[in-house]
Amino acid sequence: MPGQKLSTALGLLPGLRVCERDPAREARALADLACWAGRFTPTLSLAPPAGLLLEIGGCRRLFGGIEAIVAAVLDGCRAQGWSADWAVAPTPLGARWLARAGAACTVETMAALQQALAALPCTVPDWPAEIAARLDSFGLRHLGELIAQPAAGLRRRIGNGPVDDLLRARGEIPDPQRVFIFPERFAAGLELPSRVEFAEGLAFAAQRLLAALAGWLQVRQGLLRACTLRLTHDDGSTSVLPLRFGEACADEGRFMRLLREHLGRLQLAAPVEALHLDADEVIARPGASAGLFEQAASGEGAAACIERLRARLGDAAVRSLAVHADHRPECATKSGDPAGVFAAQAALTATFTTPRPLWLLPAPQLLAERADGPHWHGPLQLVTRGERLESGWWDSGETGATGDLRRDYFVARNRQGQWAWVFRDAQGWYLHGVFA
Amino acid sequence: MSAQPSPVNLAAVLARGDIWRGDALPGLPAGTIASGHAELDAELPGGGWPRGNLTEILVDRGGIGEISLLLPALARLSGEGGLLALVAPPWLPHAPAWAAAGVAPERLLVIQPGKQGAWCVEQLLRCGGFAGLLAWPAGGIDARALRRLQVAAEGQSVFAVLWRSTADAATPSPAPLRLTLTAGTDRLALRILKRRGRPASRLLQIDIPRPGRNKRVVAGPAFSPADTGSPAAAAVA
Repeated sequence: MPGQKLSTALGLLPGLRVCERDPAREARALADLACWAGRFTPTLSLAPPAGLLLEIGGCRRLFGGIEAIVAAVLDGCRAQGWSADWAVAPTPLGARWLARAGAACTVETMAALQQALAALPCTVPDWPAEIAARLDSFGLRHLGELIAQPAAGLRRRIGNGPVDDLLRARGEIPDPQRVFIFPERFAAGLELPSRVEFAEGLAFAAQRLLAALAGWLQVRQGLLRACTLRLTHDDGSTSVLPLRFGEACADEGRFMRLLREHLGRLQLAAPVEALHLDADEVIARPGASAGLFEQAASGEGAAACIERLRARLGDAAVRSLAVHADHRPECATKSGDPAGVFAAQAALTATFTTPRPLWLLPAPQLLAERADGPHWHGPLQLVTRGERLESGWWDSGETGATGDLRRDYFVARNRQGQWAWVFRDAQGWYLHGVFA
Repeated sequence: MSAQPSPVNLAAVLARGDIWRGDALPGLPAGTIASGHAELDAELPGGGWPRGNLTEILVDRGGIGEISLLLPALARLSGEGGLLALVAPPWLPHAPAWAAAGVAPERLLVIQPGKQGAWCVEQLLRCGGFAGLLAWPAGGIDARALRRLQVAAEGQSVFAVLWRSTADAATPSPAPLRLTLTAGTDRLALRILKRRGRPASRLLQIDIPRPGRNKRVVAGPAFSPADTGSPAAAAVA
């Protein structure tokens, strides 16, 4: 009951949990919700303290009717843990009043709206208490009775504000709204209602932030490449969970899948009491044509798969290759970032007249040598002339570098039919590659 | 009167991918990719390596030309812009050699899955974004895991090869195509253990391009560290 004393409330319900109201947090939550709602319409406005106005007249066809939009909005609110009173009406104030009265209905025409408003009690608009009391003393209980009164007399008795509100709600005078400006950079925080001790427990709260991020990306026509989730622990310390995407995207489901992979491996140092999400790298969304026919391949596609593998196995376990111009075989292969596999590449420029093996051993393997030459699963027969590689003086002596090499390479085969790439240097015979 | 069974056109029945005459090889609904070896294509159902199915290649020792057997198909997939993945390869790929064979190294992913090889292969097959996949599963992979992989591959256009040991030849496997490779005298000996359609018995001899010249044997230099004259040898002496 509004206006009830705390002592009365505690007397009625002894186990009542009392929370201090924090207007700043309410405003932040409303702004986050507005960001999330950006997925439905770019034109929306805040109606503090708890109202959000979505202009959906322009996107009815896109979503397939008002019912579909309402259902999607309510589902989204429920998924984020909000309960919402809603109404759809031709005027913003009319919709707010109907929603506040819990009407949960769609009113499409002005006549129907005026009829619906007439049935609302006079306590629904948040007019000052003395006006409500005065209307009550007049015996006016419903807005319909108020509308029936002569306007001039009503203005003299209860002031201009309420009467103008009434006219705006009925659509008789225009009611322009202040449009919500989506922030240039996305940053949102959330204080958890209770401390979370297990990393998986953060998924639900983080979903609210990621949902807001997805809506913001939709309005800003951006794609996310990396974001950072900052966890504030109950001892005041913070830890950082960076999320990187293999391919820039704006799909909330994909954000969540990647986050779950990370949370599954995360060990919390201390219980978490607040989350903060920053969008670090956002790029403009390039326009793309949708398929005219049903030609979408089944499956999530390579980019999403690579991203999940990297999340679980680590970045170093998933690599693409690149040719590096170096004569030393150890240095001729470089591992690249798999995100590059989707970029257009230059034509191949590999020119080797001498054979090169498909496989290279991680380090040359010293071969046993008998009277008939080197042995690898039996005696090796040399098949080609030696190819001398003498290179690398520039990084000899550096730690981790291959250094100066002086080797004679041969193709050889053994009696089992295995083809090997062997070399000889001052120390002896080594196996370095396999012609698979 | 009892209803007559509706006459079914025999040709229509035989056109289905899962019905074939006992003496012929069926076409594969998921399509094939030419192997680049005419005598092998003639023996493979659909006239090439199957897509959307597992292919098991059983080979004991690497280095007999087993990858070169697949290179024409892999080069074609890569040339069309497809992504290839190597899962847990036995050695490191040498990028210049793959590039020279026509496989673009930047579209070749090398994945070291550790103990999660089966999961990793399943994800790669299921996502549908890869044109080719070569995987070296850990020795203990069982029929159930293989079955999962086969189901994951179905309906995708991926050319998926699992490399296993010939010791597994006797154990049943859900892969529709299984073959063993052994090094012949000069060529690669290939035996098809299992395929859709009539069983194969013939041992195929396939010419694989090999480095250098086959017949000639070159005498290597004698090993004598003293007369190489390298700084390292000088330091040892």
